[in-house]
Amino acid sequence: MLLPVLYTLLMGCPGCSTLARLLPVKSKSIHTIRGVCMRRSMVSVFLALCLTVGLAISATAAEPPIIIGAPLSTAFLYGWDAERGIKLAVEEINAAGGVAVGGKKRPFSVEVIDTRDLEPGVPVSEALLAVEKLILEKKAAFLIGGPVRSEAALAAMDLLNKYKKVSIITTGVLTPAYTKRVEENYAKYKYCFRNTSHVPVMIGEFTALFDDLKKTQGFTNAYIMVQDVAHARGGGEAMKKVLEGRGWTVGDMKIYPTGTTDYSVGLIDAAKKNTQVLFLWMDMPESAILLKQWSDMKSKALPMGFVNAAEQPGFWKASAGRTEYLLVNLVNGGNSPSKITPWTMKFSNAYLKKWGLEPEGYGTSSSYMAVYQLKAAIEKANSIESDAVVKGLEDIDLEGVYGRMRFDKKTHQIIPSLDPKEGAVTSIIQWQAGKRVQVFPPKIAEGKILYPPWTK
Amino acid sequence: MEVLLYGIINSVILSLLSLGFTLVYSISRLPNFAHGALYIAAGYIVWLVINKLGLPYPVAIVVGILATSLIGALIYRFIIIRIRGMEISEIIATYAIGLAILEGLRWGGLRGMTFTLPAIFPGSVILFDVSVDYQRIFIVGIGALTFFLLYLFTHFNRIGLALRGIAQDERAAMMLGIDSDMTAIVSLAIGSGLAAFAAILLLPLGNIVVEAGYSVLIYAIAVCIIGGLGSWGGAIVGSFIIGFVQILTERFLSTHFQMVVALLAIIVTLLLKPSGLFGKQKELEERV
Repeated sequence: MLLPVLYTLLMGCPGCSTLARLLPVKSKSIHTIRGVCMRRSMVSVFLALCLTVGLAISATAAEPPIIIGAPLSTAFLYGWDAERGIKLAVEEINAAGGVAVGGKKRPFSVEVIDTRDLEPGVPVSEALLAVEKLILEKKAAFLIGGPVRSEAALAAMDLLNKYKKVSIITTGVLTPAYTKRVEENYAKYKYCFRNTSHVPVMIGEFTALFDDLKKTQGFTNAYIMVQDVAHARGGGEAMKKVLEGRGWTVGDMKIYPTGTTDYSVGLIDAAKKNTQVLFLWMDMPESAILLKQWSDMKSKALPMGFVNAAEQPGFWKASAGRTEYLLVNLVNGGNSPSKITPWTMKFSNAYLKKWGLEPEGYGTSSSYMAVYQLKAAIEKANSIESDAVVKGLEDIDLEGVYGRMRFDKKTHQIIPSLDPKEGAVTSIIQWQAGKRVQVFPPKIAEGKILYPPWTK
Repeated sequence: MEVLLYGIINSVILSLLSLGFTLVYSISRLPNFAHGALYIAAGYIVWLVINKLGLPYPVAIVVGILATSLIGALIYRFIIIRIRGMEISEIIATYAIGLAILEGLRWGGLRGMTFTLPAIFPGSVILFDVSVDYQRIFIVGIGALTFFLLYLFTHFNRIGLALRGIAQDERAAMMLGIDSDMTAIVSLAIGSGLAAFAAILLLPLGNIVVEAGYSVLIYAIAVCIIGGLGSWGGAIVGSFIIGFVQILTERFLSTHFQMVVALLAIIVTLLLKPSGLFGKQKELEERV
């Protein structure tokens, strides 16, 4: 490779020497020709150097990338934050040399496709086409992210089996049916993993928080408001059953159709029933109206739940501070700045540096971690062959952004816990003076729950 | 009392949402299916003027209304004018424009739930033992004033009278020298301006999201079907019917059925009186 460079440096331009010998011209003319030729010679040297350096670099980076397909509903928070999380992790891993597999270091690359599955009226088939496109056209070796909607993710499981592609669900998909299917038919659905939570786990977390409120504040009256979609209705009904079984009085459970723009009747009814905790489960944008009405009406109930509208850091400004005191389940730790593990703030700062804002909400930390889990599994398996990586994912046990991260071998569900040393922890934050303060679970709480002054 | 109070508020909100749509249809017989998109676009323009240009809220309001009116006028001048009179084409074209606006806004960065407009009057008050925020009270007051001013405009102003003339009998009005296309441009500009006006009043209650554009259109159509397409009075009555039915359903039946009852009201209206309660179109045919 160095031969062309050395030859040019030592001998000058071979064409020029030949010309000088053959042409019957005066020495000055030769010098002129030589002058032009010297410049050409320098250009040749530069080009040869570039070629040499380029070839040298490509020799080390020639390994083909491992393509990660990310089927996400990119127009929505749970899609774009996941995309950002994945891209950040890939960038970090590649900067550190890539993935060690088969004695070589291979980089990751990401192909994102918009599944549109969170958009109203878009059929599940759209998401399935997107998944298939990632596998067949984009040649994705692994899938991370979605589809985001439970129905779409459940339908995509058969595709994953058909093409034998390992997938880690990191956002949306709160149905327990996903991992239950893996347990019921392991041979068929073993390629499906989920490193985030699901409704029963979240109910358990909320129950622990309700128990805490009952014990410390003496609260016993709750009121439930949920959106008319399957996961929210399921969550509301389960919560009602659990609360009534634990000595709480549930004033009512209101189910609001998507698009509801007025919640006054429900809030007034809750006030009449001396509600102390207002439990919400909504992912529609109109839940912002509910929160503003709650604040304007100075409702005496403390609001908490799964409220998509109030997850993002910018929501404080958008609500003109009227989201103060609201408790929100961000599903996984690390979706807001906190000190769960040494990695949590490292991730949070890296996200802030790259994207200009704090981790945004559900799907951010889990999508980021899934890339690292995949890397660890590939390195453990020393292969990118799907069955080997399945085994690798089942075996890995690492301390991640939101605690100890390991998959249940039968269900391929991340093992949850309220202790980051034992498993993946949730993050329930409370909006306090413009910040999302982690208040639950107790092992990782960074502040206490505050109560609106008008509730006393 | 809360049923009465919030029933009125809900009804006025619905009538403000549908006013622009009704006005355009009543004057130029143009079903403006881009109405919801113009509503969201107006909100986003105001937001941009406040947050990106740093101009004061009142200036942003004026810019928002004028810009949306201009968009409405341009839509007619460059697109609708070519397919004028072909009703199906008008529906398809306006719906496509609406889709393009909404998806364009999404593509241009209107994503998430952090976009909103500030309340003109923050805070709340207890009225008859019911807590109501000032913004909603303001909406009711401004809504009533808007209806009254529109009445004056269409009954005592030359342009308003020309608009009514075209609405009553287009050919006769043209014989009297009223320019049909110019009237339609003005009507679409005013209708779009009213969509912007509604956005400025109502968006502070929630946030500016693309999806709301679709639901605004559905509400506007629902109100007009019940009240009667092309009838302003009908649209207000339709708003009060849906507004109160929703609140009563929530109070005495279940929140779950709010939308079902509203849709049921549309179906019943279409079955019993397809032209709507105060609709003039095809009324004679229905009677025959």
